[in-house]
Amino acid sequence: MLIKLQKKTLVPSQIIGYALTLFIGAIILLVTTQFYFDINPILFQQTDVFKDKSAVISKNISVLKTMDKEKIYFTDKEIKNLKNQPFTKDISEFHSATFKINASSNKTESAPLFYTDLFFESIADKYLDVETDEWHWDPSIDFIPIIIPENYLNLYNFGFAESQGLPVLSQNTISQVEFNIQISGNGKLGKYKSKIVGFSNKVNSILVPEDFLFWANKEFGETKENKTSRILIEFYNPSDEKILEYFNNNNYSINKEELEFSKLVFFLKSALVAIFIIACIIIILSVAFVVLSFNLIIQKNKELLINLFNIGYSYKRIAKFYQLIISVITFVSISLAIYVSNLIRDSYLLKLSSLFESIKIPNSALWYGMLLIFLLILAYNILFIRNIKTIVLPRKNYINK
Amino acid sequence: MIISLHNVKPLYMSDAEIEGSEIYDKESVFFEKGKKYLITANSGHGKTSILNFIYGINTNFNGNIIYSENTNSVFDLRKSKISYIFQDLKLFPDLTVFENIQLKNNLTNYKLVEEITSLIEEVLLGHKKDTLVEKLSLGQKQRVAILRALCQPFEFLLLDEPFSHLDKDNIRIITNIINREVKTQGAGLIMTSLDKTYNLEFDKMLNL
Repeated sequence: MLIKLQKKTLVPSQIIGYALTLFIGAIILLVTTQFYFDINPILFQQTDVFKDKSAVISKNISVLKTMDKEKIYFTDKEIKNLKNQPFTKDISEFHSATFKINASSNKTESAPLFYTDLFFESIADKYLDVETDEWHWDPSIDFIPIIIPENYLNLYNFGFAESQGLPVLSQNTISQVEFNIQISGNGKLGKYKSKIVGFSNKVNSILVPEDFLFWANKEFGETKENKTSRILIEFYNPSDEKILEYFNNNNYSINKEELEFSKLVFFLKSALVAIFIIACIIIILSVAFVVLSFNLIIQKNKELLINLFNIGYSYKRIAKFYQLIISVITFVSISLAIYVSNLIRDSYLLKLSSLFESIKIPNSALWYGMLLIFLLILAYNILFIRNIKTIVLPRKNYINK
Repeated sequence: MIISLHNVKPLYMSDAEIEGSEIYDKESVFFEKGKKYLITANSGHGKTSILNFIYGINTNFNGNIIYSENTNSVFDLRKSKISYIFQDLKLFPDLTVFENIQLKNNLTNYKLVEEITSLIEEVLLGHKKDTLVEKLSLGQKQRVAILRALCQPFEFLLLDEPFSHLDKDNIRIITNIINREVKTQGAGLIMTSLDKTYNLEFDKMLNL
């Protein structure tokens, strides 16, 4: 009887409108949240290409700087500033040879005869991505180990060797080749034997052991001053957007493609956040709409509700019907949204798994959906009871003893 | 149960309006269970107000109303201790005669469906049992409202000019039923009326 009476107070179009907007809002919310969790490991995996989380930076070379070479060096202040950035874990300066170097090969069967001018740089050993026993310098032996970037070999094999009709070389072969290094400067001349002991993916330079370079710079160096034009920087989190922002502001260039990827990650995250906010707005609007509708219903049927109260129905009992209706609709809408968002997830996971390694993220949409159901139902129940109570109670209540 | 009124005075009535009243602004007025009270007064003297004060619908008065029952709120008494026949009936026009009565009975399950049906027949509304209340005459509605008020346990029955739209025959039928129910429940009765012409034997008459 009570239900029959209260059912007539409802407006079906308002209920359908609420159910629909909540359903749509919840789908978007759940899909964006779930998508974020699903792609997060992929994004991290990708940025893990930066296994060491480091990159080499230098200053951008402009027309002005080509005229004043001093401007390509980092000042002490700049290095200190860089070191103090929140994203910087550690930095290491590149040291350059300040003497003239040339290299030449002996005629062998496996390697072509060559003569070239060279440069040397060094960084602290801990930043090297090459593991070899030969990477040490012994002052008593005239031997210098060298590490070159892997892409130099690729350039030779696929570019130079191809066009000159020269043999291609494997890393192993080239490591066997011994060649001569001649160092001159400061009025002195030094002759050494050398070998390429490793290939680096990380550092784009011709490296020699740091202790050798320090010694050689003293011995053969033209200038006593140590200038730094390149810095290896280690990050806490290479996807940090502040890194790019800082580098752009200071006009530093960074030779890591992965920072481009972090740009992409940033845009993707921003887009997801934007969609998430829109979904929240839709849900908030749907909730506001249904609360407003409910208030209109109780205002419109004020007399009926007061009469029910006056013949002995408690305000809790009167509110129960509306609480039940709104709870069921909220539950059904969000449950359907959970179901649909799962279908959507399945379809995008299928696509993602063809592009990336399989993702084993548990489905959290269910829990977020449940949490949303719980919070909304709790809020409605409190609100509806309060509003009905306000409507049916006489304005001045009193307690009888 | 005893209902006692202490210095009760409507906020919206002047001293002149309540002058000579045997209830308003009196130090103590008691209503005891098992006794019948008739409150008479002319229109506009607050007959409905006094019952609304007791039932807790209207709280715009000074003074105290004390119920001997151990309860926090008068609202808790409405289901089992105090029943009220409203002057404006407070029926639900969208429900049938039977549904209106059953709506109240559902709260306490005090009467069986057969008992309700026989009461409806007793007040000569058997043929209107399944008719929507909005289609009834005022007199018929009044009979429905009275039956509804009887479908609950009570220790006091409040009646606010309950027979205003009934003819003598109907008044006789209704008062018989009321007498029977009040006697069965051992309840008290407080009725307001313009005059004293009904065949209910009152223990006390009070002038407002």
